[in-house]
Amino acid sequence: MNITKQKFVDLNKWILFVAIPVYLIGLFTPIKYMQPGLIFVFGAAFFCLFHQDYFASRLKSAAHIWMFIFIMTVVSYSIPLSKISSTNNIILYIITLMLSLIPLLLFMFGSTEEKPKKKERLAIISFRIAFQITLFMAWASVTAFCFIKGTRPDLFYWAMFHVSTVALLPFLFGRVICGWICPNATFQDGLFKNMTYKRPIPKLSKAIEEQSHTCAMNISGEVDKRAPLMPATLLLSWFPMFFAETVFDLTQVAWYPIVFMYGLIILSLLFPWRKMCTHFCWLSSYRGLASNNSLWRIRYNPSKCRNCKRCLAEESCAFYIDIRKQDNEMPTTCCLCFSCMEACPFDDVLTFRRDPEEKARLKAMLKA
Amino acid sequence: MEDTYKTPLAKLARFCEIFIPGYMFGKAWGIAHDSTLDLYRAMFPAFLINIAEGMKEIFVTESHSLQLLFSTMSGAMIGFLVIMVLGLVMHFVLKDRRYIDSLRFTSITLIPLAVMNGTLSHVSNTVIDSLGMGESAEALTSSALQSPRGQIIMFCVLYMTSIWMFGKRTGVKGWRRYGVLGVGIGFVAIYFACGLSITTAEWNILLPKLQAAISAH
Repeated sequence: MNITKQKFVDLNKWILFVAIPVYLIGLFTPIKYMQPGLIFVFGAAFFCLFHQDYFASRLKSAAHIWMFIFIMTVVSYSIPLSKISSTNNIILYIITLMLSLIPLLLFMFGSTEEKPKKKERLAIISFRIAFQITLFMAWASVTAFCFIKGTRPDLFYWAMFHVSTVALLPFLFGRVICGWICPNATFQDGLFKNMTYKRPIPKLSKAIEEQSHTCAMNISGEVDKRAPLMPATLLLSWFPMFFAETVFDLTQVAWYPIVFMYGLIILSLLFPWRKMCTHFCWLSSYRGLASNNSLWRIRYNPSKCRNCKRCLAEESCAFYIDIRKQDNEMPTTCCLCFSCMEACPFDDVLTFRRDPEEKARLKAMLKA
Repeated sequence: MEDTYKTPLAKLARFCEIFIPGYMFGKAWGIAHDSTLDLYRAMFPAFLINIAEGMKEIFVTESHSLQLLFSTMSGAMIGFLVIMVLGLVMHFVLKDRRYIDSLRFTSITLIPLAVMNGTLSHVSNTVIDSLGMGESAEALTSSALQSPRGQIIMFCVLYMTSIWMFGKRTGVKGWRRYGVLGVGIGFVAIYFACGLSITTAEWNILLPKLQAAISAH
């Protein structure tokens, strides 16, 4: 059987389309049952979708991943997550087992004519993807524990989530929550980006859209001190959620994180890829504002840019930033996904460290 | 370059950029209730808590949720007042932008201190909860005195780096960047002088009072 890249993506998508309802049924119906293998199914499907260019041309490698998931599901048969520890739901178990067995067999015995991509994936992006998927699996596990067992390990998860994304990371690296930590980001980049259905809201009004291109700040003599730092709609999204949280004291309520995270995921389905995150996410507004003070951002060395436009950097950017219009670093809205760095065919345009020439130019400007 | 930033929603964005950090900065001062009031007075400058308590008496309602909203709002209003005064000082040092943009500078760089205020109020609530659960005096002293100290130092350092980096990013030139940093250091010093964080002497007086109040309940 010939498996094209499209078929590879579709298969992994369908695995997720089945795994998600199985997970939700297990958690939110009286069944209260989940196989740990299901969490690994999520991880493997997202991993294959994130690295689709790599795995579509190396089906055997993908098969090895699914083999690992299959073994994990078989081994964890006797330790399901269920309300009463000895109960085993055979139907849900078989579905979970099939979810890992089908891709394993297809990738093991299928063939492909896809050629591997010439440019290798950046190490930082591979690390980001591994980190994102691990956190996603942790989130799915603690939520399952919370609703199946009735204990609250999710409180620790959300405490860590808030401490890192409010109190520490924004001041060091900026808006990493949106590229590295948020479960909705994993959904958007892994699954929703590959979904081709017609979005109910395919386009936003011009006034809203253009915010993502104008919220910028530059370390240069040409700084516009009046420039907005974040989209207004994104900041406004903070109000209803935050006031509800304060007024109704929701922080200890088990359903609250479900509502705010699942709400984001469901609403994201209405818009094109990442538009929800760019313009309406209630989770990243305050955290995004804090990111204005970050110690480090991705550097852009405009003098090195050949203006070849081969990078299509704007299309690769999750937050629709006009990368080539930046002065010397990415704006506050950047989520540090490093996609722009990977999209650029040259190594010296988007960098971790500022180019010495650029450094000297900025130093002279700030001294003047 | 300036024209590219004149978008229809830019004004609204600028307003939110002042409002949100301002609200977060002050709200902790208004959320004390009967059992935590003394601890809040010790943890934060007492006069700020007293003003917030006074303002809460103006808006009294029977709805618990609305009262919570009024409480946070009364703290937030004092927060705005503090930011406006600090913004004025920053404005005189910056001198390169309108007052409203100096205010935005002040507000955004204050976010680490806003997070610190939130953390300290959380610590206060946790201390009262632990007291209710019969935690030992040593453990209570540690969570009321030692743990906030480390956090205060961390957030003050982050506040300084925020002023420095945000100043750099908005093109604050030459000595003025050191100037705004000086204003920041001065502000933190005044905040401490007014009574930020609990001293050992304050705690030694407060602990028996809190224990007596809990056992009376």
